[in-house]
Amino acid sequence: MTTQPLLKISLGDRIERNFIALMLGLMTMITFSNVVIRKLQEKDFWRSDWFEPWAEPLSTFGLQSLETTVFLFAWMGIVGTAYMIRINSQLGVDVALNYLSPSWRKAAALFAVGACLLYTLLLLKGSWDYWAPFANLPPTDGRIIPEGFKTRYLNQGYYEVNDIVMPAWAQFLGDWFNDGDQYEKIPRFIPYFALPLGIGMFLWRYLRVARDIVQNRANMIIASHDSEDLVDEAAAKADKD
Amino acid sequence: MEALYLFILVILLLLVGVPIAVSLGLSSILFLLVYSDSSLASVAQTLFSAFEGHYTLLAIPFFILASSFMSTGGVAKRIIRFSIACVGHFHGGLAIAGVFACMMFAALSGSSPATVVAIGSIVIAAMRKVGYSKDFAAGVICNAGTLGILIPPSIVMVVYAAATDVSVGRMFLAGVIPGLLAGTMLMVSIYFYARYKGMPKGVWAGWAEVFSAARGASWGLFLVVIILGGIYGGYFTPTEAAAVAAVYAFIVSMFIYRDMGPLKTAEGQTPLSLRKHPQALLTAWFHPDTRETLYDAGRLSITLLFIIANALILKHVLTDEQIPQTIANAMLAAGLGPVMFLVMVNVILLIGGQFMEPSGLIVIVAPLVFPIAIELGIDPIHLGIIMVVNMEIGMITPPVGLNLFVTSGVAGMSVMRVVKAATPWLGILFVFLIMVTYIPWLSTFLPTYFMGPEIITR
Repeated sequence: MTTQPLLKISLGDRIERNFIALMLGLMTMITFSNVVIRKLQEKDFWRSDWFEPWAEPLSTFGLQSLETTVFLFAWMGIVGTAYMIRINSQLGVDVALNYLSPSWRKAAALFAVGACLLYTLLLLKGSWDYWAPFANLPPTDGRIIPEGFKTRYLNQGYYEVNDIVMPAWAQFLGDWFNDGDQYEKIPRFIPYFALPLGIGMFLWRYLRVARDIVQNRANMIIASHDSEDLVDEAAAKADKD
Repeated sequence: MEALYLFILVILLLLVGVPIAVSLGLSSILFLLVYSDSSLASVAQTLFSAFEGHYTLLAIPFFILASSFMSTGGVAKRIIRFSIACVGHFHGGLAIAGVFACMMFAALSGSSPATVVAIGSIVIAAMRKVGYSKDFAAGVICNAGTLGILIPPSIVMVVYAAATDVSVGRMFLAGVIPGLLAGTMLMVSIYFYARYKGMPKGVWAGWAEVFSAARGASWGLFLVVIILGGIYGGYFTPTEAAAVAAVYAFIVSMFIYRDMGPLKTAEGQTPLSLRKHPQALLTAWFHPDTRETLYDAGRLSITLLFIIANALILKHVLTDEQIPQTIANAMLAAGLGPVMFLVMVNVILLIGGQFMEPSGLIVIVAPLVFPIAIELGIDPIHLGIIMVVNMEIGMITPPVGLNLFVTSGVAGMSVMRVVKAATPWLGILFVFLIMVTYIPWLSTFLPTYFMGPEIITR
């Protein structure tokens, strides 16, 4: 039913795919390691002398693992969605669309992509307003439509996350964002950057989808169901057998 | 009545082909801008905290990853061999074995379409070969595949638990008896239908085959022990269990079954031995197969999680505006009893389930009906299982039944033909839904037995 534009795997695609794979792989391994460390801590040898040089760093790792995983999760979920828009992998309902004539379908698709763009623009303003103060940048004025940047706002560059310790090599950020004071934990604007970055990528991707629809290269912005790949895979497998 | 506009807007956006996630998110944002004084920044924060603040939801990508390694790693093949060895000699044996295999695979994977693909792509072809009709084969597997979300682990249960703050462990336990019951009901009906139709039966290959097949499948099936044993033995949380399961599945498929990764060889040849190729211990982590599986699992998870994140924005709006409480009070004032209430929940979910993806629907409906259920004295775990069974039925009813699409792909039939083929067996699931709805014991016995009575905090 859906006509997917032929996708050539470019360098950008490979980067984004590997990004998704890497995030998921890291999340899994960190959570798994944390379980192992916690189990080891209950053992006797954890307190013995020969293990001492290991116990300290492993415990530190364990303490930071939960928050790290959760932030990787957010990065995968938000920045990864931008790639889902590119490969037309968002789920939707195509029942009504299938009854429409091609020209009405195009109109519906244009309306749908318009709705997506509206969503993205609203969220983009929201993300910027939320993230900017953490990076000592001005949020925008106005409730719905940005009306220039605020001149009076609180610098929140000193906000830190709860658990993740700031590595020494990154302390130069203290000079830039924290009046020269060192960060104990990493500053908040780092993990939260997923929002403006990810939503900004949505905007770029939806604009491209809109262009494709206008030029009749695509007629939908949704995959009618998430089974396309599963089906292709299964069909390929069935052919082999 | 503002809430009504909200839902109408969601449905309208869905119908013109706006992605589910954006329909939910955009409607909620517009509603907030018009009816409250929240800022856009707070919406963005809600979106981020959907990931940051819901540790339970982390279990979803991990379970999907575990099941991806299991499906590509040839576990399905071994499970099917084992179930044929066990029940293949009955009338309609291969069909019964198909259901049995779906039940076992459901205990490794949390999703229904994945179960249909893993088991269906092998069993449907095998059934055709020994003379079953294509429609019978597809109908049976399409139905049995829905057990994927009822037999723990289950992604839909994780979502329900995250949306209503009940324990994932309880939900998983609650699914065991209903899952076994539904599977048994399907198998028994197939048996009688097969006797009546005189369908082919296989030969009993003897206990030796049963044991040897069991040994082959045991590496995969041990995952169930890890997940359930780990959670209930208090070794780890459900989220951690899912991560451990994913790592275990990776090791089994890479180094033991060797159906993927660096030790894999061409079809039909013995895979390479790890002892002779120890470098595989390092290369396996970055092997293209690993990356491909990680990406595939990531893709599925992201699609699902973005819907859930936006449904959480909607949930946020609903609770902020006290909408569930308003509805609850109106309904209680109208003298609604538990029986009628559950009928209504079933109807809403059955209709909704035909249009929406299960996880998103649960996130939206659960907070709406949850307070009413508690008010009426319905057990939250029981309510959760009712919702899951409704979602199962939603997956095999048109127009949006994921299992239908997947089965049509696997069996190479049109979706309409799969719908017709699945319908007779759908009756069994309906009977099962009525049983689950009105016999709370089925879902509450195990959790209460193992974890003590549910404490309801209002």
